[in-house]
Amino acid sequence: MRPKLARGVIHGILLTTLALTLVPFFFMVNSALRESSEFYHGTFAAPRALRQLGRLGLDAVEGRRGPVVVTDEFDNPRTVPRAEAARYYASRLTVGAELAWDLLRRYILNSFLVSGLTALGVCFLGSGTAYLLARYRFIGRKFVFTFILATMIFPGVLTLVPSFLLVKQLGLLNTYGSMILPYIAGGQVFAIFVFKSFFEGLSEELFESARLDGAGHWSLYWHIILPLSRPVFSVVTIMNVLGTWNNFLWPYIVNTDDRHHVVASGLYTMASSTMSSNPSTLYAAWTISSIPLLVLFVYATKPFIRGLTSGALRA
Amino acid sequence: MISAPTRARLRFAAGCHVLLLPSMVLLLTFVYLPVAWAFVKSLYRFEIGGQAEFIGLQNYIEYLTIDPPTWPSMLNMFLLTAFAVLTRLTVPLVVAKLIHSLPAERTRYLYRVGFLVPIVVPGIAVQLLWSRLIYSDYGMLSETLRFFGLGDWTRGWLSDPHTALAALMFMGFPFAGGFEILVYYAGLSAIPESVNEAAALEGCTGIRKFFRIDVPLVLSQLKLILVLTVIGGFQGFEGIFVLSQGGPGFRTMVPGLWMYYNAFSYQRMGYACAIGVVLFAIIFSLTLFNLRYFRSAEEIQGHTS
Repeated sequence: MRPKLARGVIHGILLTTLALTLVPFFFMVNSALRESSEFYHGTFAAPRALRQLGRLGLDAVEGRRGPVVVTDEFDNPRTVPRAEAARYYASRLTVGAELAWDLLRRYILNSFLVSGLTALGVCFLGSGTAYLLARYRFIGRKFVFTFILATMIFPGVLTLVPSFLLVKQLGLLNTYGSMILPYIAGGQVFAIFVFKSFFEGLSEELFESARLDGAGHWSLYWHIILPLSRPVFSVVTIMNVLGTWNNFLWPYIVNTDDRHHVVASGLYTMASSTMSSNPSTLYAAWTISSIPLLVLFVYATKPFIRGLTSGALRA
Repeated sequence: MISAPTRARLRFAAGCHVLLLPSMVLLLTFVYLPVAWAFVKSLYRFEIGGQAEFIGLQNYIEYLTIDPPTWPSMLNMFLLTAFAVLTRLTVPLVVAKLIHSLPAERTRYLYRVGFLVPIVVPGIAVQLLWSRLIYSDYGMLSETLRFFGLGDWTRGWLSDPHTALAALMFMGFPFAGGFEILVYYAGLSAIPESVNEAAALEGCTGIRKFFRIDVPLVLSQLKLILVLTVIGGFQGFEGIFVLSQGGPGFRTMVPGLWMYYNAFSYQRMGYACAIGVVLFAIIFSLTLFNLRYFRSAEEIQGHTS
C-alpha cells in the first residue's frame, strides 16, 4: 500500500510541476487564437471564435436550424445562415496567425538559410579539420589543436562589440555573411572537439585495409569517415541549429534594416514596432516560430536530446 | 642541408596546414581579431566613423570608479546569478530524482520529454511571453491575484522598483528546466546498481539516500550546471534587455547590458570594450578558480565510488 501511495504523490508533484511549466505556453497558443479586441479583458478566457464555434456545434447536435445572429469584433450584429456563421468564426480564429505568417515568412526563410548554411559549413569544416587532427601526425598538430581549443576561453561578452566593429569594417552589415561567417568560425570549435574524439575512436585497421586497397586521403574521408559518423553529424547539426536559431542579440545588432532579420531578431522588432498594439498577431507569431524546432524535436527526439546534452560540455 | 626524410615530413606538414587554412582563417578573423581589438580599443575613445583618441586606462578608471551604474549593476548580476544557481541546482535535481524513481521506463521517458518541450520555443519568444502574458497589468500574475481577492497586491511587476529584480529572477518559474533535468537524470542513471543495492541493504532509503548517496554521486553534473549558470549569468543580458531594459533607474541593470547601451546607444565603443574586458577578467578568474576546484571535486567522487 505504501509504495503505491508514494508513487501517487510522486506523480502528483511531477504533474503539477509540469503543468506550471507548460501553462504559459498553453496560454500563448490560446491567445494566438483570440482577436486583438479580446485582449482588454479576460487573460484566461477562451478565444471568442472558438466559444461561438462550440455553441454552433452544440446547436447542430440539438438539431437547431435557421439563421443565427453573428457579431463581429466591434459587436455589430447581423443575421446569417448557420453554415456561413461557422465559416465566419473559423476564419476569425486565424486572423492573428495570417497576419503573423505574412510578417514571419521572410524571417523564417532567412533563419532556414542562416542556420542551414551555418550547420553545413560547421559540419564540413569541423569534420575535415578534426579528421586531419585525429588521424594524421604532422608537425604543428598539437599547436593547431591548442590554438582552436583556446578560443573557448573567450566569452561572447568580450567579443560582442569588437565583432560588430569588425563586421562593419568588412562591409558585412545587413548581409547573410554577417551572421553565417562568425557563426561558422565560432561553431566549428566545438564541432571539431566532438568529431575529433569520435574519429580517434575508429580502429586503425579499418584505415589500414582501405589504404592497402589503394584509397587516397580524400576517399578515406569520403568512404570511411562519413558513413561511420552519421550519428555524430546529426548531433553536431542539431546542437548547432539550436544555437543559431535561438540567437537573438547578434542578428539584431548586425541587421539595421528589415531584409535579413532571422526569426529571433524579427520577433523582437515586431514586438517593439506598431505591431505591439496587435497582441493577437504577436502571440500567433511566437506560436508559429516554435513550429520548426517542434517538428525537429518530434522527428528526431533522440539526436535532439544527445545534441542538447553534448552541447553542455561547451563550457 | 635538410635531409630527404625531413623534407618529406615538412612537405606533408605543409599540405596538412593548407587544408587547415579555412578553419584557421575563420578563427583568426572572427575570434582572435575581435579578442585583440577588445583589448586595444578599450584604450581609445571613439565613435563609429569618428576619430579615435588614445586615452590609456581612462575608460577602465571611469568604469571602475565614477560611473554610477557600475556597482549596482555588479550587485544585480551577483544576485541574479546566485538566485539562478540556487534554483537550477535544486528544483531540476529533485524532479530528475522523482522521475528516476518511477518504475516504468516509458513513463520516465515521457516525463523527460514533457519537461523538454518548452525548448522548442525561441528564447526571445519566451522572454516576450513573460513580459506580456505574465508580468503585464492584466497578465496572468495580476489576474490570478485578483481572482483570489488580492487585487491590492498587483502592480507593474517590471516597472515597480521593489519587484523588478525579483520579477526577472522568477522568470522561468517553476525552474524545472528540461535541459538540467536531462543532465541530472543522466548522472543518476550512471550510479552503479551495486551502490543502490548496498544502500538498500544498509537501510539507507528515501531522503537519507538522496542526500548521502545520490547528491555526492551527481556532483560532477551539479558542477557542470553550476559553471554553466555562473558563466551564463555573468555575461547574459538578453532577458533583461527584453523585459526591463535595466530599469526602473538602474534597478535591474547588469554590466553586460550597460556595455550594450554604451556601444549601441551612446556610441562609446572604446568604453564598451573596456567593460567587456572587465567582465572577461571576472569570468576568466572564476574559470581558473573552477579548474582548481574541479580536481578536488573529482577526487571526492573517486573517493566515494
